[in-house]
Amino acid sequence: MSTKQVGDTVPLLLRRSCLSSLEFRPKHFLLQKSHPDSVILLLYTNRPCIVIGRNQNPWVEVNLGLVNQRGILKRLRAGSTSVAAGERTSSVGEDNDVDDVLLVRRRSGGGTVFHDAGNVNYSVICPPASFDRNKHAEMVVRALRGLRKTPHGVRVNERHDIVLDVSPHSEAIKSHERDTGMNSGDVRTFKISGSAYKLTRTRSLHHGTCLLSSPHLPFLSQLLRSPAAPYIKARGVESVRSPVRNVGISNADFEDAVVAEFVTMYDGSRAEYKGNEKMKVDIEIIDAGKVEHIPEIQAGVAELRSRDWIYAQTPQFTFSSHPTADDPRPRPDLPADLPSSFFPTDPELSSADLADANAPGLQMTVRHAEITDLSIPSTESGNSDSIITGAVGDKSLVRSLKGLHLHHIDDWRTHLGSENESVGRWLNRLFGVKS
Amino acid sequence: MPTGSSTLDAASSLPGSSGDIRKYTKDHEWVDLNADQTAGVIGISEYAAEELGDVVYVELPEVGKELVAGDTLGAVESVKSAADINSPIACSVTASNVVLEEKPGTINQVPEDDSHGGGWIAKITVSEQGRKDFAALMDPEEYKAFTGSEEH
Repeated sequence: MSTKQVGDTVPLLLRRSCLSSLEFRPKHFLLQKSHPDSVILLLYTNRPCIVIGRNQNPWVEVNLGLVNQRGILKRLRAGSTSVAAGERTSSVGEDNDVDDVLLVRRRSGGGTVFHDAGNVNYSVICPPASFDRNKHAEMVVRALRGLRKTPHGVRVNERHDIVLDVSPHSEAIKSHERDTGMNSGDVRTFKISGSAYKLTRTRSLHHGTCLLSSPHLPFLSQLLRSPAAPYIKARGVESVRSPVRNVGISNADFEDAVVAEFVTMYDGSRAEYKGNEKMKVDIEIIDAGKVEHIPEIQAGVAELRSRDWIYAQTPQFTFSSHPTADDPRPRPDLPADLPSSFFPTDPELSSADLADANAPGLQMTVRHAEITDLSIPSTESGNSDSIITGAVGDKSLVRSLKGLHLHHIDDWRTHLGSENESVGRWLNRLFGVKS
Repeated sequence: MPTGSSTLDAASSLPGSSGDIRKYTKDHEWVDLNADQTAGVIGISEYAAEELGDVVYVELPEVGKELVAGDTLGAVESVKSAADINSPIACSVTASNVVLEEKPGTINQVPEDDSHGGGWIAKITVSEQGRKDFAALMDPEEYKAFTGSEEH
């Protein structure tokens, strides 16, 4: 939010089809280190990954049990979608596995997106005075409209996303309706590009995705639907789901068109831009090979991928197995093998009007991934079929779980004890650990 | 002359007049210091709250955090944008406004309210450097003129 006027604009261009392990960090580095008056365009493509927004909850947004499976995309493409079929592995963070999905939390706001090689990301870093949420999305829209192969009806919507309006007569819709059995005479709108922003004192960053030819769109709803979500009430930002579509053009065509629009925009005069001829603006092309070895960039990549940034940055949330006053949504049916204390027979006990402290089942408060508060069915309720049996009292169970970090729990059963094996299995499934 | 000055002193410490002074940064944060300039409160201005749009989450500073002017104090998210809140002056954080975590919209409603239930971000203590930084900031009239010139 600074007041600096755009004076000496020095556009700078970073373009690279694949930034290998550097997916995100150059933006942050350039955000901090570039000339304050420069305008920078970056174009890059990532290996398959799910990127959650700065203030989102991975246990709500992502099906971690699926995403953490080695080679999951290959399995999904092959049609064997059974979660149980997958072998979980802890080494998904390794590079260059095109069928693994990497989970990352970005520094900018907004919701969760999926990237792969069929998606091109664009980022524009500019002085904050010229910040406008739609300015560069409109630039991309102009680039898309200029391409012969782009379907008609591309526009920026009220959420600053780029969408495609498809008429009911188009081939794409007809085939879609054949596939889904749906038939409506209305124009259908698909999201093709999402935006997020980061504002610092001296610079502002707008970045967006653009789905061009991803083969994985049919699997997004599976990957981005968490089994734990119905039980979690989270502070922070929840994603807005939108139907998505590929534009259906090549990465190179898209990148060329965006670069041309960028140059036109900052050249000041459309007429004077002719291909690669002398331009009024100085455009510096930075090769990823040059920035890869900058220590700050390497450190930043490690930070964005660190489990602490991905999980412990999560805003506070509560998990409750049953409806509570604070979160009265009906819950999915619980596994039948949970202790009977999870199935109160007294109808009053299942009422959402109940004070949270008296609600049945399991409740946890989790702050920055740490379990800070916990309540479990009381042994004093007069109900002998309590969750807690034998030597383990609920107090000791509370003690053993309180203070734990969710992302450090590999197997809930080890913390819940053999008496609560079924609870442990259930939580393992919800939180995507050990199936 | 001695009489005159003591009258002024008395006036500035009258009951009901807290003696607080509010100043603003070019980045649209405000800071209030108490009369002896040892402690204060930080928040974002009404102008900033308006520009940001609906705030959906506020990241607060940890109590005990030591900051120099311009350091990141916290962040707010609104309309897909994460925006840093910078510390206007050198200070040490003594409290953060936890109400904002649950009710981030408070920042839009009463961004310049430093009372309980207001949209303030952090309470601070201040030493010599902080007082120096404070002296260089804009008073309310200067800030008003400044934001007036920023609008198109």
